[in-house]
Amino acid sequence: MAALWDRPLSRRTVLKAGGVALALPYLEAMRPGRASAAACLDEPKMVTICATLGLYTPSWLPETTGPDYQATEYLSIIDHHRPRYTILSGLSHEEQVGRQPHNSEITWLTGARHPGTDGFKNTISVDQVVAKDLGYVTRYPSIALGTNTPQSQSYTSTGVMVPAEASPASLFAKLFLEGTPEEVEREKARLRGGASILDHLLDKRNSLRHRLGSDDNRALDAYFGAVREAEVQLAEINVWSDRPKPVVDAEVPVDETNNAMLIRRIRLMFGMIPLILETDSTRVITMMLQDHSVVPADVPGAGSDQHGLSHHGQEPVKIRQLQLVEVAIMEAFRDLLDDMHARSGGSGSLLDETALVFGSNLGNASSHDTRHTPLLVAGGGFPHGEHIAFGEDGLDAPLSNFHVTLLQRMGIEGEGFGQSTGPLSWGSGLRACAGGDQEERGGPTRLPGLGEFGGRRYPRRGGLGRS
Amino acid sequence: MPRRIAIFGLGLAVAVLAVGSVRASDEVPPDSPRRLTRLEYIHTIQDLLSIPEEAAREVAILLPPEADTGDFDTIAENQGISGLHVRSYMAAAEAALDFALRLGPAPSSEPFRIDYTTGQALLSGTMDFFGGGVIRNLEDAAVLVADAYCTYTVDSRYYGFQVERAGEYRIEISMYPWQATSTVVANVYRGTAQGAAASLDEQIGVWDLTDDSTRTESLVTYLRPGDLLAPCVAELDGKGANPFVFVDEGLFINDSDYPGEGVAFKYMTIQGPLYDTWPPSSTRAVLSGVEFTDGGDIRLIRAPEEHLETAVASFAERAFRRPLEQQELDALVALGLPFLDEGLSFVEAVRVPLAAVLASPEFLYVPQVYYEGDLDDHEFAARLAYLLWRSVPDDELLTLADQGALSDSTVIGRQVDRMLDDPRSWRFVKDFAGQAWRLDEIGATTPSGRFRYDAQLGKSMELETQLFLAELIENDLSVGNLIDSDFMFVNRPLARLYDVPDIVGQDLRRIDVPAGSPRGGLLTQGSVLKITANGTNTSPVPRGTWVLGSFLGTPTPPPPPTVMGLEPDTRGTTTIREQLDAHRTDPVCNTCHRIIDPPGFALEQFDPIGGFRTRYTARLLVDATGVTPSGRTFDGIVEYKAILLDEQVDQVARNLVRQLLLFGTGAALGPDDAAEVNAILADVQGAGYPFRSMIRAVAASRIFRRR
Repeated sequence: MAALWDRPLSRRTVLKAGGVALALPYLEAMRPGRASAAACLDEPKMVTICATLGLYTPSWLPETTGPDYQATEYLSIIDHHRPRYTILSGLSHEEQVGRQPHNSEITWLTGARHPGTDGFKNTISVDQVVAKDLGYVTRYPSIALGTNTPQSQSYTSTGVMVPAEASPASLFAKLFLEGTPEEVEREKARLRGGASILDHLLDKRNSLRHRLGSDDNRALDAYFGAVREAEVQLAEINVWSDRPKPVVDAEVPVDETNNAMLIRRIRLMFGMIPLILETDSTRVITMMLQDHSVVPADVPGAGSDQHGLSHHGQEPVKIRQLQLVEVAIMEAFRDLLDDMHARSGGSGSLLDETALVFGSNLGNASSHDTRHTPLLVAGGGFPHGEHIAFGEDGLDAPLSNFHVTLLQRMGIEGEGFGQSTGPLSWGSGLRACAGGDQEERGGPTRLPGLGEFGGRRYPRRGGLGRS
Repeated sequence: MPRRIAIFGLGLAVAVLAVGSVRASDEVPPDSPRRLTRLEYIHTIQDLLSIPEEAAREVAILLPPEADTGDFDTIAENQGISGLHVRSYMAAAEAALDFALRLGPAPSSEPFRIDYTTGQALLSGTMDFFGGGVIRNLEDAAVLVADAYCTYTVDSRYYGFQVERAGEYRIEISMYPWQATSTVVANVYRGTAQGAAASLDEQIGVWDLTDDSTRTESLVTYLRPGDLLAPCVAELDGKGANPFVFVDEGLFINDSDYPGEGVAFKYMTIQGPLYDTWPPSSTRAVLSGVEFTDGGDIRLIRAPEEHLETAVASFAERAFRRPLEQQELDALVALGLPFLDEGLSFVEAVRVPLAAVLASPEFLYVPQVYYEGDLDDHEFAARLAYLLWRSVPDDELLTLADQGALSDSTVIGRQVDRMLDDPRSWRFVKDFAGQAWRLDEIGATTPSGRFRYDAQLGKSMELETQLFLAELIENDLSVGNLIDSDFMFVNRPLARLYDVPDIVGQDLRRIDVPAGSPRGGLLTQGSVLKITANGTNTSPVPRGTWVLGSFLGTPTPPPPPTVMGLEPDTRGTTTIREQLDAHRTDPVCNTCHRIIDPPGFALEQFDPIGGFRTRYTARLLVDATGVTPSGRTFDGIVEYKAILLDEQVDQVARNLVRQLLLFGTGAALGPDDAAEVNAILADVQGAGYPFRSMIRAVAASRIFRRR
């Protein structure tokens, strides 16, 4: 056992000793010895990966917290990266019972309540807050990825889902391959036609208002807001269309058309992530590992589809098969970590400057329980190496607090997002980052107060693990 | 926002919720026009441009999917619009016009013929390479003996067929059973190449072969470049023999001792893309007023500017569903003129205003976005057409609107009848059942291998429910049939699931519910029972929730934040019911669960795919007893349905009226609307709420006319 002075004092330890449930001020003694201090990054990037069918908790979650946790079956697969990631537990969104038990996958990045029930409208997702903030500093403000369908977890502020790209080949073509001269010309003519169409649509505004005799028409307001948004976006896209696309030293991926090849599909798309980030095509990626609804053909020993296995009903045979599938996913994730760690970026590795989030919207997929969700964050300048537990007495802290932390890391200040009650703090203490690009654009963007992103102020549950 | 009524702990809640989504009178009135949904957009461009539905679906892939709101996607309040939408509408318009505009020499319409006796590709392969293509060559046909081999041996690419251009193709296929002693199944898949094999993405034809005669079938399907067609087989009895044992070096079963069943395929012809005329009607729909040369090129007979105006006026009037004002037309035409001046072709120039139409608020919103007061006849025609056809009104409706004849309830009734008799009403059936009863979720789970389920059964279930609804509409039958009916729809796969004897063939047909069968009505259909299970096990909670929410329209609120679903334990020691019973001793839980659980208990008699069962395992029996909130006891679904018939027909009808109004207008009902809803119901109550009459009454109601 390490000497006491070697070990960082966790806030939990301090509080237990004190016997009071109070948030304590940050003490220098809590700084971990082994993890580097949180660094602000010049060009912070973020990637979220969601295993939407859950991760079997006993194989995921370490029994103890702190830096010396015993790696579980899944974590042992990536344990050689331990100093580069943090396991976060005890976080979840409240009120995730939706119409369908899997509806919580659409709120993992938003924190909206009661997904899919009568009159539900999603709120903005954490990646889209960043995308909106960064805009077109990169060719794409954000990219959503899937393994099977266009479903994504990225939602605009009006609750519109940003479709995911599920074809690595067409994504590759879009990002890295120049069209033929005719295609390029045609595209430019389209953009020009598009610009005149948008002008025409905006011109309608006045004539329509005149007819209405009233300024109060929400549908029209929303529509013209959208047209203006499109106009700005098209202008930016136009600028990018004149710039040559980045050249990458990689083979054009060949799509896997058989959706039973679950792991191959995941690996192909994982392979795109470092290319996207390294070429600075976007700094914001979300990816959904989706339900493929068939028995995976590339996981030997799996006899049912992943969703069926996730409802194992405590039957050991099914649990074992579920673990086979999830181990294969973890191995793919390990290779992604290896790859991003090996590439250089900024002052360190590509991983160092990317907040790489991996987790699930389900804490226990067998019962569709959305509490105690699995979560890992790697890279991104966070202090790492530990398992940090939040919440208290079985009650979780808001997962949105993590999202706020992530937003701050991406240079967006403030505390109001989803169900957040404030940012998380662990290790050497995290502070908001407002460097890099933000300064050029006149200082950091501030998050609006609680509520404006659909967040409402709710009484805190538990009192630990948050500053 | 529709007000969410906090009814936790209130026994009266159900009565309050009887009207469903209730809007408080002091909130914003339901005056917002609604945006076309993605599905409506598909059918609209399908009809406007005269293109195949699947071509329109391809185009609509460019649009953001509708968000999952748990309610109809037509509801204005829940719809979003964004810059992404606007850009997507513009891109989709370009793609749609790309597809519609076909000029130049008429393509050859010579059918491509595949003769299955010439499986040349097979001869060059080895078993290792193909992974096991097994086939037997006969004089006049090639025999497939197992479905696993369809992807390797007989797809159209091996015979040199390639799709040059997306469109509809006519397929003809000829086959007969081989060594069959029972019914065998032949089918055709559309798929894509995947190395040496193919992924068989969609079954486009399926036939039971019941006698030895040669069967020649034809169908029309949509093909895109890269698509291939593969015949396949199902339900073959191998008689205990492994085909591989009988295979020679050329991958053929030449040993005539193979005892199993097979299907012998003789030939397939593929013809297309099919065009009714050349240039196709899609081109003519877009370029109204233009003439065409024999070579398929356009011929302008007036000044290009005049043609521009004619084409744009004709298109925009149909897209906006009303006559155009001159200044609107001028503004649109002005978009194309600069391109003409620059020397671009007429077709390139006309595309710009047409694309503008397809991104305009007058097109994208129903009713029109900037009028006030009740709907005028043109807007009414559009609302009606979007309800029953999911698309724009046709000429007859527009003419009636021009004449101002659509305020007369007799005329409206006649139009409703005409529209429901039109094949386009099938779109209403599918979309309504898809959303109101959540039939869209039919493919959300893949049942565990313990259940005899395949894609064909899933498709049959979906079609059964759609046909059932269509039957109520077509014959104006009482909505009480949704609770229980003396008829049902089956094909052979469904008949097997439902234990109905002596049904052969893949076509669904109406039969009488056999004596003693628990079937009849909606609740006992495989689709509903599958949608409300997770593929592996069942729980009374999602099924009870479906009955209360989707069927009766009396939903219960979600559980409190700290409560989560029960963790199923299928190891065979306890039933979900025992777990639930413990849960129900908590008075807070019991408030709702005494309402939710009873229908779920009755439906426990059905497994996750809808098969009837009396026990979970050898030891665990199904307990399907319960007590309704009204205090009546039942044992099993048959008794439960009898109670519903006795108590809830009015409520089923009320819910349907509410759903039709919501679906059709996109606006939630307010408390002031109760009287009008009652009036609609009173209209049709005497006849037992016949479905078609109910639709007529809804269409003629004041609420349907309201903005």
